[in-house]
Amino acid sequence: MNKLVKRGISLACSALLLLGFSACGSQGNGESAGKGHLVFQIWDQGQKAGMEAMAEAYVKSHPDVTIEVQASGWDEYWTKLEAAATSNSMPDIFWMHSNQMFKYADNGILADCSEIVDESNYSEISVENAKGSDGKIYGVPKDKDIIGLLYNKEIFDEAKVDYPDENWTWEDLENASQKIYDETGKYGYMAYSHDQIGYWNFVYQNGGQILNDDGTAAKYTEPATEKAMEYYIGLQKNDWCPTQETFANTAAPELFFSGKGAMYYAGNWDLINLCATYPDMNGKWDVAVLPKCPDPAKGDGRASISNSVSYATAAKGKNRELAMDFLTFLGSEEGQKIQGESGAAIPAYNGLEETWVQTFADKGYQLDVQKMVDMFDYSVKYVNNPSRPSWEPKVEQAMLDIYGGITTPEEGIQKIQDLVTEAIEEE
Amino acid sequence: MKKKAWGNQDNAWGYMMIAPTIIGLLILNVYPFIQTIFMSFTSAKAFGGYKFVGLKNYASMFSSPEFLRATWNTILFCILTVPVGVMLALVVAILLNAKIKGKVAFRAIFFLPMVVAPAAVAMVWKWMFNAEYGIINTVFHLKVDWITNPNIVIFTVAIVSIWSAIGYDAVLLLSGIQNISKSYYEAASLDGCTKLQQFWYITLPMVSPTLFVVLIMRLMTSLKVYDMIYMMVGEGNPALSKAQSLIYLFYRESFISGNKGYASAIVIWTVLLIGIISAVQFMGQKKWVNYDV
Repeated sequence: MNKLVKRGISLACSALLLLGFSACGSQGNGESAGKGHLVFQIWDQGQKAGMEAMAEAYVKSHPDVTIEVQASGWDEYWTKLEAAATSNSMPDIFWMHSNQMFKYADNGILADCSEIVDESNYSEISVENAKGSDGKIYGVPKDKDIIGLLYNKEIFDEAKVDYPDENWTWEDLENASQKIYDETGKYGYMAYSHDQIGYWNFVYQNGGQILNDDGTAAKYTEPATEKAMEYYIGLQKNDWCPTQETFANTAAPELFFSGKGAMYYAGNWDLINLCATYPDMNGKWDVAVLPKCPDPAKGDGRASISNSVSYATAAKGKNRELAMDFLTFLGSEEGQKIQGESGAAIPAYNGLEETWVQTFADKGYQLDVQKMVDMFDYSVKYVNNPSRPSWEPKVEQAMLDIYGGITTPEEGIQKIQDLVTEAIEEE
Repeated sequence: MKKKAWGNQDNAWGYMMIAPTIIGLLILNVYPFIQTIFMSFTSAKAFGGYKFVGLKNYASMFSSPEFLRATWNTILFCILTVPVGVMLALVVAILLNAKIKGKVAFRAIFFLPMVVAPAAVAMVWKWMFNAEYGIINTVFHLKVDWITNPNIVIFTVAIVSIWSAIGYDAVLLLSGIQNISKSYYEAASLDGCTKLQQFWYITLPMVSPTLFVVLIMRLMTSLKVYDMIYMMVGEGNPALSKAQSLIYLFYRESFISGNKGYASAIVIWTVLLIGIISAVQFMGQKKWVNYDV
């Protein structure tokens, strides 16, 4: 009996070994241009189908090419990509986030894509996010994103509050939240700790800035910035807003889709997945433009943070020629259209916003996503500079210390100002 | 006549036999360890670049409140989990050794947490500890912020950690207890010893070598705690700074902020800490561990 078990285990092990070897063997075939195997790495499981649709379209006209899309989690993605870059074994095509663009581009990791990118075809923000510090283009613009207000129609009806519209200000947001809380006992606007989806929008609506225009100085202690940050942090003091502790237990989207809270801000990239994940909620929630600042220090009180992702390839990639050809396709009108139609993201290519909007209607999702696209008229580019990777985690921690009551907002914001200034100087 | 060690046929065979393990050890453990020591004296930049900075990482480490806090958190976590955990494991082992019905089933049940992936364990406990909808607050009619109250969170993590380790430790201790010869107990009961006296004067001294091994292992694991905190507390939690361990801080510095040099210094400090505490334990063992059976 015992012997049998042992033999079984050893057989299974050797079978596994064989499998492993044969899997390795099948990878390195065909290296000539126009022929070969590409690995395409992304961090969003939700967009995998969209990326595969594009790969399929490319393979149809290039039958000798195979493309494998690999999706992983966000944290894991960057750990793996950095290790791969250090050992010169990067995937052939990968996504590059603007957070990390400078780091990779300035260290010579990314291939120069200037030749295959015609800047005039893409939205300005997407092109800016594809540039390194030297102003050259190191990626093909993939998409552009925007932040919007999600609201639960049922809770609004129950509390007899009018749905948010484009005339809403911060005051309307607060009043509606109060009324919802009074009438239904549910949370109103759920303002959780977040930069891009949270306080940055308020800061720019108020006419403040996080960094100066060329990213060389921190602006957290500017009066307009500080005031907006304190306003945003202070929202959690209201009964109708969950505290940061509550959010750590149950995140805002979970509270929203379980009918415990009426409103929260989210990026447009979440929408298609939310629709697919909560089919029962279809028609019971909608999106609106962000409420504007009623008395901005500067400007008209409107802003919404917009960021973008690029497709990139390694400067020293083995399949560079083929990868470049596929990148060209990804950046073409045809490729971008397929992306938009998958609902994964709003294409960076000018004039293709409609493909993304149409997808929601085609799939029967009752969501007024045109509102998201409307906000591009006054969108503000995602805050970024080369030292961002080193200051961002520290700023996040400092924000949590303010929420946790360890520091006062005033001290905390001063600390953030110092942290970012220090990081910029060290760079 | 002196034999040449390397020329000896038997020795050559011996070296060949251990070569796979030794080579693996050198490449996978020793080399990275030396590399880490070296990196802790540099300000490592992204993609393998670095600059030698001497003791700067260590200096800024010991002046950082975040680091000191993490060191204290780690030590506190050990104080919470090791004595209580090992004591409970001993009790469980003794109970599992008793003549009860379904003994095998109980042993399997206690060992079960060890088989489940730690990430899954942490997720399920996180839901149970949810302040608003969790089963623990609901059943006991409590209103405790288990995961987000900075003063409580480390106890919460410790509870889960003890729970998941108890089965494994108990099985080790059980094997130690079962090795104790029955004749000691027979002699003791003839002399009129109570059960408690039997435990105190026979079981405890006889099982002390196993107990020592369990203690050392548990201490090392506790000093290296990371996964529980990552899964249960995580980013976005205002209580994180009161719960993060040294290894968690290392993870954040190294993989999120990209300060590989500073992160290496944290790891070297952790290794030293484990070394010191283990050395103290080995010195202390002479006082209570009984090796003559």
